Amino acid sequence: MRKRRSRADDETEINITPLLDIVFIMLIFFIVTTSFVKEFGVDVSRPSRAPVKEQKQSEIIAVRIDENDQIFVQNRMVDVRAVRANIESGLANKPDASVVVVAHRQADAGLLVRVIDQARVAGAEKVSLAAQAR
Amino acid sequence: MPRRRASEEDETEINITPMLDIVFIMLIFFIVTTSFVKETGINPRRPAAQTAEEKPRGNILVGISEAGQIWMNKRPVELGQVRALVEAALAENPESSAVIIADEESAAGVLIDLMDQIRLGGVYNISVAAEQAAAG
Repeated sequence: MRKRRSRADDETEINITPLLDIVFIMLIFFIVTTSFVKEFGVDVSRPSRAPVKEQKQSEIIAVRIDENDQIFVQNRMVDVRAVRANIESGLANKPDASVVVVAHRQADAGLLVRVIDQARVAGAEKVSLAAQAR
Repeated sequence: MPRRRASEEDETEINITPMLDIVFIMLIFFIVTTSFVKETGINPRRPAAQTAEEKPRGNILVGISEAGQIWMNKRPVELGQVRALVEAALAENPESSAVIIADEESAAGVLIDLMDQIRLGGVYNISVAAEQAAAG
């Protein structure tokens, strides 16, 4: 090692041209393949069946969406714009309650997202999703 | 110009070290930020939501068309295939989370089935795509 080093020390340099070629090719590859697609989304928790059964009925604010896209908060039919106020008053009565959205299979996914969003705006930290049995 | 060139031609070289520094920094930046998002192949109408937030790690994208057809990796897939595709994507990038891009008019049942399949595939961080709406 030492002998070679002292010999290389005077004039010769390492040829970095191949390294540069590779670096440039990698750079171009990553520039081309990078896609800055960023989705915006709403977090939804989908609990497995077991914990839902354990949850007490009194600690749940149930929001039901039926097949005709009608929304029921605690079995009262409300408009989509009134969901937020209804959940807010429900949370005021039961601060620890979690919101469960039960959607009919034929309901619109867009309405479902809007209801989940309204529940989150109302202050519900955990909104979970349940499907009605077929 | 020709005069200067002739005087510099004998021994001096352009110092490429700063350029190399920049090139390496760009390379590292692109390596770090690349996430290889696989597009779904469709562009559904997303519902608007006020609480929508950016999902920077959402690189498993699953689309649901208006008719309820599921799209992944730019081709239509059956519900039963989703689990295997999610498992494959998870093996490529263990930190990935899933974003379901459901059309406003699609049925909620498909969305719920899809969430179950993605969970079976091992991804528990699932969100539903939405457009950011103005708060109010």
